[in-house]
Amino acid sequence: MATEDARYRQSSQYRLWSFSPTQLDAKRETTNALARAMISERLLLSSSSSSSLPNSNNPSAATSNANTPDPDGGGPSLPEFLTPAEESLLLTFYTSELLRAGDHAEMSDEMKATAAALFRRFYITNSIMTYPPQEMSIVALFFGCKAEGAFPRITDFMEKFGRERPEEILAGEFLLCQGIRFAIDVKHPFRALRGAVMELRSFGDIDPSRIDNAEFHAREILRFSPLITDAYFHYTPSQIMMAALSLADRGLAERLIQSTFHYVAPPSSGGDTPMANNGDASKEDATKGSESSSTQAAIVGTYIRDKVLGAIEACRDMLSKELPERREHWTSKAVIKSQIQPIRKKLRKCCDPDRSNLVELQRRRREQALRKADSEDEDNPDGDRAEMDAAVFGGDLAQNNNTKRRKVVEDPFGGPL
Amino acid sequence: MSRNKSFASRGGTTAASLGLPAPISGDDMCPVCKTIRYLNKDMEFLINPECYHSMCSNCVNRLFNDGPNQCPYAGCHRTLRRKGFRSPFFGDLTVEREVDIRRRVAAVFNQHEDDFETLRDYNNYLQMVEDLTFGLVSGTEARRRDAEAQLQQWEAEHKIDIERNRKAGREADELSRRRIAAERDAARQRRIEAIKEAEEEKLERVRNREAELDTMADAPEGGAGGGAGAAGAGGQRVELKRRKQTNRAGETGAAAAGSGGGAGAGAGAGGAATTSDVGRLSIRGLKDKRRAPAPEGPYDPFGGMDFVPSRYKLHEGLSHPQIDKYRDRAHNTGGYSFEEYAARAMYEAFAGLAVFIEDEKEVGIGLSAGKVAGISAGMAAVGSDEMEID
Repeated sequence: MATEDARYRQSSQYRLWSFSPTQLDAKRETTNALARAMISERLLLSSSSSSSLPNSNNPSAATSNANTPDPDGGGPSLPEFLTPAEESLLLTFYTSELLRAGDHAEMSDEMKATAAALFRRFYITNSIMTYPPQEMSIVALFFGCKAEGAFPRITDFMEKFGRERPEEILAGEFLLCQGIRFAIDVKHPFRALRGAVMELRSFGDIDPSRIDNAEFHAREILRFSPLITDAYFHYTPSQIMMAALSLADRGLAERLIQSTFHYVAPPSSGGDTPMANNGDASKEDATKGSESSSTQAAIVGTYIRDKVLGAIEACRDMLSKELPERREHWTSKAVIKSQIQPIRKKLRKCCDPDRSNLVELQRRRREQALRKADSEDEDNPDGDRAEMDAAVFGGDLAQNNNTKRRKVVEDPFGGPL
Repeated sequence: MSRNKSFASRGGTTAASLGLPAPISGDDMCPVCKTIRYLNKDMEFLINPECYHSMCSNCVNRLFNDGPNQCPYAGCHRTLRRKGFRSPFFGDLTVEREVDIRRRVAAVFNQHEDDFETLRDYNNYLQMVEDLTFGLVSGTEARRRDAEAQLQQWEAEHKIDIERNRKAGREADELSRRRIAAERDAARQRRIEAIKEAEEEKLERVRNREAELDTMADAPEGGAGGGAGAAGAGGQRVELKRRKQTNRAGETGAAAAGSGGGAGAGAGAGGAATTSDVGRLSIRGLKDKRRAPAPEGPYDPFGGMDFVPSRYKLHEGLSHPQIDKYRDRAHNTGGYSFEEYAARAMYEAFAGLAVFIEDEKEVGIGLSAGKVAGISAGMAAVGSDEMEID
């Protein structure tokens, strides 16, 4: 196994945030179904409890309920929910909005890319109906800057995006962190592109202007196409980079792959360059055994090469659906009016009444935490803390704690004398 | 000793349940020669651990003095020897037999808790031994044979270790016995001293009293108070002396106990000889004391990960027009290394190229079965049977 691949498999991007297309679709569908269940429950609860005062978040539910005195009449007042496909369309739209906002704030490519990747990761396990995408995209931008080592002032940031209070951005920050399972590092193909250019230049027989041209175009693609598609979930940065390079200049990308996988050197013979000619190598091999092993390596090498080419081709297809020229598509008034606006209208009706306002949500959570901290002395503090931790890290902690406690209680010699 | 009591009761109960009149209890009648205790007051029952059938000593002498012979019980075809007979310790012969078996198993499986890596291993070992013992004591015929075979195999294979453990156990016993004896000795010594002390004190008090009386008799009228004061001081001195001595004795006693305890602990640690080679019947978790633990080597923070690039080669010629200027140190901040940047860029360009997320997340890392078959077909075409997969 190539050392580079083994190292990449250690990254959180591979371990936590890489999925096959079917897995990703399944995840999105379960998220959507969960959100539907939760939101309908909350809507019914809020409309039955506060039927007299109109709820600003779901006017339809409030108005319909105000007319019907029957508390059981909540059923028909449920709005129409977004489908996973609609959610995904809306997500793509808001990702393009996020990238545009990043351009507006003059951020670097990495910051924008990180923000976009985090944003899309967040909405795998959270529905757009649950948390407002517009707000979260700003939060993702702010957090993306920080993740890339730039620390903008929150006051500058909120002025740039026309917010009135810093809380409006900060409220969603921890939420975002939870949503991305604290995997803050995002691996991008930008530096990989530079590496590829370095390698291409070191070949020596390629026109430098051709390389420059290809790099420019590939970078343009990398800035937009992989971010707005699911490429980051399905392909590794180097594959994305190769796909972008192949879109820019197919010949160069293929040359690079061919030279890399022409002969996969066994890790023991470190002196061998991967570009070493296989024919020469096998001629030098005196013993028959090593010759056969090198032919084996060559066969597996060609197999791997074909597979890599296949993966890159698939990635290339994915990227070619959202080439940088499509930037205009997502900002054109016609598209927004015909495709996005209806979904947004729907979203406004079916969004989560408790969670659409991040500031309010955070205030309530803080209060809850404070109340818990106050009452900690009376009842078991461990249980509360475990509950809170479970809320942050997602379950199981409380259970572990309970088993531990039970173990203590079940001491065969009873409690202390 | 309650010997022969319940063996009798066994026969007795059956007789009673059958409603026989005035039964002669098995305790009082030899089942072989039908002699009853009434005729022979000194009748003694003996058993042989081969079959645990009891008979009176006269029968034993009569039957087995001329060499080995068959057990006289009907249906028992074991050959017994005179030498094997002994009087049972327990009245219930099943208990007698179980105790014998347990003693035998314990002599073979004589590992200590110190011989094991963890308490769990020791417990598992105990469980295993208990299972084996149960098989021997009250298992079916097949199970008993099995257990017997296991026991013998273990004994044969681990003769040295068993012997070593036994010796260590004996030594530990010896040491603890010596320690107890020493303690008892010290206690007796202390008691004698205390008695002597008490006597001396009594004598002293008497002497003091006499001296006091003398001074009172001798002294003029005003000196009596002073004399009494002096006598009181003397008494106090005696008291002090006594207490001091008691303290000292206590200290020595404690020291003796301490040294004894230390020796015991040392013996416990030293007595932990061990076995490591295990045969068919294997005990898990035994510490391997014959071999020193292998050195772990220096700590590897990367967990054995290899950082030698396999797909590209780092060399001087790597450069990029946009960052070429950073080769020059004048443009760098402290700590910046162009080579590091180049290495990282090259690594990122080639890392994960052959990581196929779709396959790996659904099937697992490595090649899927169908593809392996495909490759091996390719291999067969080349004519090799071994393959290395990247």
